Amino acid sequence: MRRLLVLLALLLGLSLAQEKLKACFLYVGPVGDAGWTYAHDVGRKKAEAALPWLETRYVESVPEAQAPSVIDRFVREGCRVIFATSFGYMEAVLEAARKYPDVIFAHATGIKRAPNVATYMADFYQVYYLNGLAAGALSKTGKVGYVAAFPIPEVKRHINAFALGVRAVNPKAQVLVRWINAWYDPAKAREATEALLSQGADVFAFTEDTPTVVQTAARKGAYSFGHYTPMLKFAPDRVVSGQIIRWEVIYMDFLKKVREGVYTPKNLQNVDYFWLLQHKAVEMGADYGVPINPKHVPLLQKARMRVGDKEVPVYDRIMALLKDMSSPNPTFDPFAGPIRDRKGVVRIPAGRKASLQELLTMEWAAPGVVGDWPGEPR
Amino acid sequence: MRLELDPAPSLGKTLLTYLAFLLLTLLLLGGLFALYGVPPLRAYGVLLSPLADPLGLAEIARRTIPLLLIGAGLTLAFRVGFFNIGAEGQLLLGAVGAAYAALFLPAGPWTLPLMFLLGGALGGLWAGVAAWLRVRFGANEILTTLMQNYLAYYLVVYLVAGPWKGQFVFGFLYTDRFPEVARLPRLGDTLVHWPTLLLGVGAALGLQLLLFRTPLGFSWRVLGENPSAARYLGLKEGRFLALAALASGALSGLAGVGEVAGIHQRLLEPAQISLGYGFTAILAAWLARGRPGLVLLTAPLLGLILVGGDALKLAYSMPFRVVDVVAGLLLLGLVGAEALARHRLVWRR
Amino acid sequence: MEEALLRAVLFGTPLLLAALGALLAERSGVVNLGVEGIMALSALAAFAVALDASPYWGLLAGVGVGVLGGLFLGVFAVTLRANPFVAGLAVAAMGLGASGLLGKRYEGMPLDTPLPEGPLALVAFLLALLLHYFLYGSRLGLYLRSVGENPKAADLFGVSVEGVRYRALALGGGLIGLAGAYLSLAYRPSWTDGMTAGLGWVAIALVILAAWEPLRVVLGAYLFGLLFFLQFRLQGSVPIPSEAFAAMPYLLVILVLALSGRSRAPKALGQPFERGR
Repeated sequence: MRRLLVLLALLLGLSLAQEKLKACFLYVGPVGDAGWTYAHDVGRKKAEAALPWLETRYVESVPEAQAPSVIDRFVREGCRVIFATSFGYMEAVLEAARKYPDVIFAHATGIKRAPNVATYMADFYQVYYLNGLAAGALSKTGKVGYVAAFPIPEVKRHINAFALGVRAVNPKAQVLVRWINAWYDPAKAREATEALLSQGADVFAFTEDTPTVVQTAARKGAYSFGHYTPMLKFAPDRVVSGQIIRWEVIYMDFLKKVREGVYTPKNLQNVDYFWLLQHKAVEMGADYGVPINPKHVPLLQKARMRVGDKEVPVYDRIMALLKDMSSPNPTFDPFAGPIRDRKGVVRIPAGRKASLQELLTMEWAAPGVVGDWPGEPR
Repeated sequence: MRLELDPAPSLGKTLLTYLAFLLLTLLLLGGLFALYGVPPLRAYGVLLSPLADPLGLAEIARRTIPLLLIGAGLTLAFRVGFFNIGAEGQLLLGAVGAAYAALFLPAGPWTLPLMFLLGGALGGLWAGVAAWLRVRFGANEILTTLMQNYLAYYLVVYLVAGPWKGQFVFGFLYTDRFPEVARLPRLGDTLVHWPTLLLGVGAALGLQLLLFRTPLGFSWRVLGENPSAARYLGLKEGRFLALAALASGALSGLAGVGEVAGIHQRLLEPAQISLGYGFTAILAAWLARGRPGLVLLTAPLLGLILVGGDALKLAYSMPFRVVDVVAGLLLLGLVGAEALARHRLVWRR
Repeated sequence: MEEALLRAVLFGTPLLLAALGALLAERSGVVNLGVEGIMALSALAAFAVALDASPYWGLLAGVGVGVLGGLFLGVFAVTLRANPFVAGLAVAAMGLGASGLLGKRYEGMPLDTPLPEGPLALVAFLLALLLHYFLYGSRLGLYLRSVGENPKAADLFGVSVEGVRYRALALGGGLIGLAGAYLSLAYRPSWTDGMTAGLGWVAIALVILAAWEPLRVVLGAYLFGLLFFLQFRLQGSVPIPSEAFAAMPYLLVILVLALSGRSRAPKALGQPFERGR
């Protein structure tokens, strides 16, 4: 034991004497205040604060076509790990990985790997399902609004999980979807929310990079679920819960393994993080550590839903599933078959859950989803 | 004390004014950098660093290509009095045309020429609509072309999210990659698709000759400088206006073809296709003051500003907005100097 | 229906204010293409002051920054007689850029005491009426119009062309600043980089659509607000792609312009004035 400790101390001393590990981040948008890039930047800062041997750099608002030259520059400046945080960087990353075989790349939302390219993603679909349960219970009109950015699989997967949750509580409920065709556009988010409000929606979820939907819904007394970062402070009385990302969990795990030599530029071919609740990479909450706004707990305890042949309070169901899916070996999955799409086609057969491939390329719309759905399979 | 026009500004005075404004601009920029905790002198170094580095030069060239094509066309359009603010949309239409030819027409050695042809035609058509609305209904083209930008944007989103979405893009908003025959060759390891660059140089020189050495050019210049004289000469105003609009739209369309065939090799989200070239080129055109040939200077200059700003962003992890501020200040310095050089200070009323 | 009309007014208001600001300058003969940048900077100033003091001081700060922005453009477009289009575009870029650089620490903050939209919308409407009266019913308005139509003649009559243009830019800037403050204090209410999201350019287009008439600007702004809302209200109700609805406001603006026919810009628009030329 003692010998081990000495060895560890020695290793630690050695590594401290070494130069810092330089990790560099490619952001697709401006850091902003609440969205995708902001969350990656929070993750980067937290990782840097927690790992004394880590040094980071970042560049924001890098268009896809600009990625190769930014990567060149990163490598020249001695970056040993490069995180590329957008699907659109895929070609640039794979090409650069061939050009710089000694540099480690990690590609967020990516699907193609190489010996020195890993992929990673922290996904919300479980959280969306749980928030869907709450939304189904809270909606009096049976209409739940969803303001959506672009029709890509990630967004569709989230809407579907959300709708499945809503329908599990209220089988007649509808999820009204409005596409704004933008990741960031407060004016469109506001007017889309207003349109949904005027159509009777009284609970809201969304994908857009600002708290606009939360703020707008709260003006009319409608409930909402924050997205990506904690949004409780923007409407303390009306934000029920939300999806919160913790990129630092993945970043720290990855960088530690690089540091320890577990990950090298030769063995990443099969390193794919698709991290969920159980890995603590995502969190359900109105704020960090607040799964459900205490103001709304009584309402959710009063609401009932059928599970099998039992009536249970929605709140209990949410907390039970949250606990299950946060455990090392979850038994529940929102996309467990049989699941039909809104046209009645079986998309996930009974007896199994959706495969990773099916999740990453999801194009169909769940029952209860109402609205235009670009790219919907026939 | 007041300013009045100097009938014959001397060369020395002009140079001095430009120098003074350059210094003033640099001083202001320096103050900004210092506020941000970046030593000003080193920041200037970074701003100009692309000039001293092959990768930087390649980046400038890449940015210059669309600015050159669009800028040359806009210079003509502005000179004739057609204020085309819609180059961004025309570029997107060009990209759409190129993607159609690359993905849905039989492939062969004719594919690339066909892409340029179709893209240019669609870009021209898009500007032609605005020209027609102006000639036929008197609709102001600044407004119509600006609105058409939005229409083009949503057309591209519709195509990549709907009917043209690729089989191999995992549901993301892209078409499939263009086949090999539909990709433009590049200079070595860079993103400089040189055929489009040659096209741009040719367009600038060609329009320069056309404007100053041919009867058509003469009519265009008369129309732009003195519409009533043009009417007096019996020129068909609408026809010449539409011709200039078509030319500038077609050139913007070609720029769009270059971007998708030379860089992206597929159609994608519109905001990723163009990086605002259609708007930056307006500046290139205005700075060229009615001479398409001069765009050969102004386009690389703006390219340098964009790339230098990017280098700053990279070197100091500065917010991307630093590019806007640098570009805005330099432009103000430039127009300020240009204006002041034409004036003299008079110490009486 | 009522909902749609309400949205038309409440979303139309920032467009209306910004367009009135641009219109005022243009009627005096100066093109103000800096709207987007001035709006962005005013929105930030308004929000920053509102956080530290009160939203009413914030409103004032937004207007103040707008006035300064207008005057700044004036230095180049009026005094130096520089190309007003390039100068305006440069101001737009600088305003956006500066607001992004200076505003980082105000991002992600809620505003506890937002301003109500309704009263501000009413103020904007009244300002449009006032501007109409000012242009057509007052001596100063006559001067302003004559400077925009025929600066040489106005100069001969003893009107200071430069003075009038500076005032128009400053007042117009104030209106644009009010539009920015409306966005960050009432419409959102928060501040993020780029929150003007192109509304400044739409406002410039509206001035043309409205043929440089304040009352028509009211109609144009509300029409655009209505269409912008309807694209989401109608989306999904009929099997038409959402992108078609998104394009609808812009398409209809083109149609309205084509149908409303020829309009005439102020004659001296965009021409720097030099005595004796």
